[in-house]
Amino acid sequence: MIRVEHLSKKFGDLTVLRDITTTISKGEVISIIGPSGTGKSTFLRCLNLLDQPSGGSILIDGIDLLDRHTDVSAIRQKMTMVFQSFNLFSHLSVIENLTIGPIRLRGLARHAAEQHSLQLLRQVGLAEKANAYPDELSGGQKQRVAIARCLAMEPEIILFDEPTSALDPTMVSEVLAVIRRLAKGGMTMLIVTHEMDFARDVSSRVFYMDEGSIYEEGTPQQIFEQPQRERTRAFINRIRSFHYLIHGPDYDLYAMNAEIETFCERQILPKNTRHNLLLLVEELLLLHQPLLGKAPLELQIAHSEKHDSLELVFEQYGVPYNPLEQDVHGDDFGIRIIEGITEALNYQYLDHRNRVTATLI
Amino acid sequence: MVFLLAVTGGLQRLPDAAAATAPLAGADDLKDKRIGVLIGSIHDAYATKNFPRATVLQYKTLSDMILAIKTGKIDAAFYVRESLLDLFRNDQELGTVGEPLFTVPIAIGFNRINDSMRQEFNAFLKQARSNGLHQDMVRRWIIDGSTRMPEIANSEANGRLIVGIASDKGLPFTAIEHGRLTGFDIELAERFAAYLGKRVEYRDMEFGGLVAAAATGKIDLISSTLAITAERKKRVVFSDPYYELATSIVALKKNIAGSAAAVQNETTVDAPGFFKGIIQSFYSNIIHENRYLLIFDGLKTTVIISVFATVVGTLGGALVCFLRMSRKPLFSVLARLYIAILRGVPVLVLLMLIFYVVFASVRIDPVVVAVLAFGMNFAAYTAEIFRSGIEGIDKGQTEAGISLGFTRVQTFLHIILPQMVQRVLPVYKGEFISLVKMTSIVGYIAVQDLTKASDIIRSRTFDAFFPLIMVAVLYFLISWTLLQLLEYAERRCDPKLKRREAVTG
Repeated sequence: MIRVEHLSKKFGDLTVLRDITTTISKGEVISIIGPSGTGKSTFLRCLNLLDQPSGGSILIDGIDLLDRHTDVSAIRQKMTMVFQSFNLFSHLSVIENLTIGPIRLRGLARHAAEQHSLQLLRQVGLAEKANAYPDELSGGQKQRVAIARCLAMEPEIILFDEPTSALDPTMVSEVLAVIRRLAKGGMTMLIVTHEMDFARDVSSRVFYMDEGSIYEEGTPQQIFEQPQRERTRAFINRIRSFHYLIHGPDYDLYAMNAEIETFCERQILPKNTRHNLLLLVEELLLLHQPLLGKAPLELQIAHSEKHDSLELVFEQYGVPYNPLEQDVHGDDFGIRIIEGITEALNYQYLDHRNRVTATLI
Repeated sequence: MVFLLAVTGGLQRLPDAAAATAPLAGADDLKDKRIGVLIGSIHDAYATKNFPRATVLQYKTLSDMILAIKTGKIDAAFYVRESLLDLFRNDQELGTVGEPLFTVPIAIGFNRINDSMRQEFNAFLKQARSNGLHQDMVRRWIIDGSTRMPEIANSEANGRLIVGIASDKGLPFTAIEHGRLTGFDIELAERFAAYLGKRVEYRDMEFGGLVAAAATGKIDLISSTLAITAERKKRVVFSDPYYELATSIVALKKNIAGSAAAVQNETTVDAPGFFKGIIQSFYSNIIHENRYLLIFDGLKTTVIISVFATVVGTLGGALVCFLRMSRKPLFSVLARLYIAILRGVPVLVLLMLIFYVVFASVRIDPVVVAVLAFGMNFAAYTAEIFRSGIEGIDKGQTEAGISLGFTRVQTFLHIILPQMVQRVLPVYKGEFISLVKMTSIVGYIAVQDLTKASDIIRSRTFDAFFPLIMVAVLYFLISWTLLQLLEYAERRCDPKLKRREAVTG
């Protein structure tokens, strides 16, 4: 149904899409996931030429979209799009938003178009809002109207560009429910989304996009449970990490602590966890004190949202030296504190590097 | 009412301040005084040359100048004796000082290349002098002070004759009475037209613009008490003189030496009761000689120019806006240039440029020129209003339209345009109102609009207060009425209101 070959897109010097080749058949529901800024939306927008591709070809039912003689508008009627920001026509009522396309483009009589549109509104649960105006609707309602507007054109393919990203969390599910229903009905759909659970159970195939290309693709099972490639794994497990380099004994402790706190806030870690993390860093640094200044000490904090774990790694180049077994301060008080707040604590010597790993409870 | 009292009171008080100066006995008393003249007239040149120490103030119309004398802004004015004689028939406050200063021959002015018509006129004049017609005209108009036009038989078989006049010149030469032109110059023009068998069409202009209009071929001839001067000869050719015009000094009687009024001026300024005064003003400015017809015609012209200029300007603005937003640099630079120039040039200058320069050798109805000039000016402003309206609409609206399968043009028509109209109407309304008021300058190119109508009335009644207030009120009413229409349109465009009406109705 859709065949994409060597598709690329550049904005000036910036390459957004590189060499994308894929085939999508009728009835497939494809979720496109991946970090922000990797061209997911651009890929979707290239498919209906809202953005003009810089190279490659797109074939819809065998028709070359980039051929100058192709009636692109006619193809767009069969391949409509739902936007992140809804883009309902603000000067028209809900029902008029639905009927304008069929009346103007498909030559339907007003009455027939209205009947059909009302039926679609009933499908998305908004028939009673038929005469409301877009600015009187909530975000979730707007997006459902936008979906109904697409359906009014009786399309064969629907492109969803982050349909729930602009919604309050409470409204996400009502929109997803509508899309789920469409998927069950056999509509061919491409969905750019950040809702992993949704992508997992609605799609027949998942594209993981990274740096402008389809980095890995497969069934939801493959992508979400056995991702084959490293960046997919990092994304699926949603690991975010923090790095800091300590050059010598006179490092700026307060600046470092402030940065760690910012990182914690961004990850929405509970206050208690944050407190324990800072304590752990402080105690481990005390144990590392004899080594400071000999070589830069590398500090890394990794947070996995999926497993809800926080891992701390101290690494330094040098001769073997296990700070966990040295009695620097004449007591084992520090060690006891560390053990009290960690789940696992390890020392390794690898590639001439001392490495201490701690996992916070 | 307090305001009205203050103004009328003020008008009557001011002359007393001027009365303190020594009375005027002759031309010599004026050498360090303030002298009024009409701009571009022979008196203007004469005053500047012969009264180097005097302050010469130039006025556009006789009525303005008379008002200046009455309000003490000038001590005396130079004007045509024959016209003053007519003025004195209705005005007891004014008089002449000493003997006429000089006389000048007056003649008909023609375009330089139109020498054959000039010769025809000379032949006509010779005939009129020999059969006593000329003498009869001088007697009726100038000596007897008649205001009635005789019936003149005219076959009107040989096309038209376009005659430039200045209707605010005043009797006995040119004036509007009972809604139609009358006077010596008018009769002369019509008799000449009858002689040629042509239908007369008048172009009523500012006197200062007549020579330029004849030189550029806008009019066939000037029949407006045009004195022969060397300067004018460079631009137009003159017929043989048809009259010798004297120039007199006019001043308030109470300032003139030896005048009866100077001794006891209190009796002449016999202020009538306030309401009686208003009624009198109303009668002389509106009812008398069917002057309301003049106002009605002026009103019609103002509305026509405003409405058509708005249409032209809106369509033009849409075009300029389209070019301005074009991706082709040539188009957008041209549109920018257009906007910059049209917004940077005063609309009066633009109006005159189009009339006297662009269409110099083309016969074109000045109303069309006015519509064009105001339309062009309006287009420059509306183009930017439209652009800001379009650019203010979220890009997502266009994308949604296109993604549904609308073409770019369809998207614009069905989705962007209705939203843009809704957005720009408030600003557009403001521009529209200022356009309506701006049209008050069309008198410069011989269009008789509302302002010009009031000027003509003032030139007959020499009453500043009533016609001006009336015109102000009328402009307000025009603006207000047209604004109501626009607001009606605005309500139609607002979906919320539309639905509210649907619900209640």
